[in-house]
Amino acid sequence: MSQPTSRTRLACFTFPHLALVLALRAHPELKGEPVLVGGEGRGDQQVVVAASPAAWAKGVRPGQDWRRAEVLCPQGARLVVDRAAVAQLRRQAQLALAGCSPLVEWGADASAYVDLAGSDPLRPEESSRAAHCGRTLQEALGVIPSVGVGPSRFSAWAAAQLAAPGRVRLVPEGQAAEFLAAWPVTALPLPPEVAERLMQFGLRTCGDCVSITMVDLQRQFGPDGILLHRLCRGLDSARIDPWREPPLCGVRRVLAGGVEDSESLCFGAAELARGLAQELSRQGRAAGRIRLVLRGEDEPQLPSKADQQVWWGEVSPPTPMATADGLMGPLLSLFGRARPLTPVTVVELEAFDLVAPPVSQAGLWQGRAADREVVQRAVDRLHDRFGTGLVWRIEVRPGHPGDVPEERLAWSSR
Amino acid sequence: MALSSLNLRYGPGAVRAGAPPLLQGLATGVGSLDDITGCRGLPRGRISRLTGGSSSGAFDLGLVLAAEVSRSAAVAIVDFTLGVDPGNFEAYGGELDNCWLVRPRRPEEGWAAARTLAQAGVALCLLVAEDWSRLTPGAAPAALLTALAEGDCAGLVLGGRLIPAVLKERICLELECWRLDWALAHGDVCGLRLGAQVIRSHLGAPGASCRLQLNFPRPYQRRVGLEELTELAEGEELAGELLSVAGGSGR
Repeated sequence: MSQPTSRTRLACFTFPHLALVLALRAHPELKGEPVLVGGEGRGDQQVVVAASPAAWAKGVRPGQDWRRAEVLCPQGARLVVDRAAVAQLRRQAQLALAGCSPLVEWGADASAYVDLAGSDPLRPEESSRAAHCGRTLQEALGVIPSVGVGPSRFSAWAAAQLAAPGRVRLVPEGQAAEFLAAWPVTALPLPPEVAERLMQFGLRTCGDCVSITMVDLQRQFGPDGILLHRLCRGLDSARIDPWREPPLCGVRRVLAGGVEDSESLCFGAAELARGLAQELSRQGRAAGRIRLVLRGEDEPQLPSKADQQVWWGEVSPPTPMATADGLMGPLLSLFGRARPLTPVTVVELEAFDLVAPPVSQAGLWQGRAADREVVQRAVDRLHDRFGTGLVWRIEVRPGHPGDVPEERLAWSSR
Repeated sequence: MALSSLNLRYGPGAVRAGAPPLLQGLATGVGSLDDITGCRGLPRGRISRLTGGSSSGAFDLGLVLAAEVSRSAAVAIVDFTLGVDPGNFEAYGGELDNCWLVRPRRPEEGWAAARTLAQAGVALCLLVAEDWSRLTPGAAPAALLTALAEGDCAGLVLGGRLIPAVLKERICLELECWRLDWALAHGDVCGLRLGAQVIRSHLGAPGASCRLQLNFPRPYQRRVGLEELTELAEGEELAGELLSVAGGSGR
């Protein structure tokens, strides 16, 4: 796994567990009271799924045995988790965040990570981008998340813990070690025995550990020592395993080889725009926002997609676009801004904020472009009914003289 | 007085004049051809037919008309023969970007595609077949006619000497073509001079005719496609040619 670069910035969103959110939504009178959510079914296998802050203060933790939790917090209200409702709310939140960034990782129904890399002309600053994601998440969940932004996963999470709900806490670039200096080692994502030994050594905070070399830490704790060294300096992994929902409308093209030059990528813009226009036409929608994602690798056998290098950018046209001609302008502007980190092998173009296609006066001047869209939708319906191969579009294939139309002309059914 | 009393008794519009409705024509780009159809072009919302003997130019005339229309509007070609060469369409100046070519595996697919595309608003729906009697389900022509009317689309049928009654009775305009002469240039056949006459029309009396020149796509060709043939060749008589062709076709 590659080391995070200085450009890497992650936003961490922390919020109450979704099961607790739903439970309090169903029982608003329990707000502020100790609430235990879980206990699904019967027997000794019941565990706590979520606990309110009041129950948390009594020592109740998620994953705890249900009977032990009842002993710790006998006055707490015990509610059964609604798995289906949680899954639905989770999907709503994931979709909402995926609309903000293609790199979203969902964590245990109580946190989420978003890669703030990429370009958004409407929100050039990372704080405004993080705040926008937070507002989107708030609309989806109905609760106010805390937002932390940092160069690594742990530093972003720590910043979110320190941030008040509805606030963004930033870890300045290059100052992660200073930011984490006062953070207790017991709160690090390390095995308890490591934290216990650190306490025995008198190393109580991350700042205490920073002065120790990685070699010494490795000698004492093995691989955990290396991780401890990185955590304390904010150098732990910044790559996230993105949650991927197929876009409602989009096209994806795998290139024959890696392309480094963004000018070369522009040659495929027309084909991409045409493909997205066809997809929009099939759905009878227009795109209010389009996103270009350039991926460096496309290796499905990789255990995680976290190793992929991704560049992405978005643009919102002045009016919703549905035709290939209309999409070309915004798409070319995106290609002009593209700064891929590695040779590009996969290009994705996704459409968001889908609305009914506008009927513009300009369409009347474009060679009956609007009519062609209607006819194309009819053709798509015919293909759905009779299969492809019934209605064909023909193009002249340059450099192929001959008498056989199938060779001289390019036939396409989409 | 009688009409007034009937309209008073049964409501306005109970009795109407029998004049045919005014039809919009789809201009073919050739004035003399538009003049003889009765609606300044191929009738929109109706089915027309081009017929003629071997080497009469009827097929190429249909293709040229489709190419002409495609320069400003969408065109659908339903090719039951699976033999139409889109390259010819393009060579005659057709805009391939405005052309949808349907190659049906079964007749029902072709008629359904024609209906759907006509309703979607293509300006011209060209149907090409060799034997219409085998390809025409009983209800297909009536359904196509409805779709043409809904989409304000002109339907044009090509090919086949004999057509079934269910199709024939719904044809609004029938033009017969015959060859007058070959046009020669540089020792090559560069075109065809042909005559066209209205032999069946719901829009007016049949019999009107015109003379056209069809220029084949050649590298040296001054103009490819259709143009009016204004100069009569010496000793050439249009009516005599028509009668001889008509006699040969059994009418």
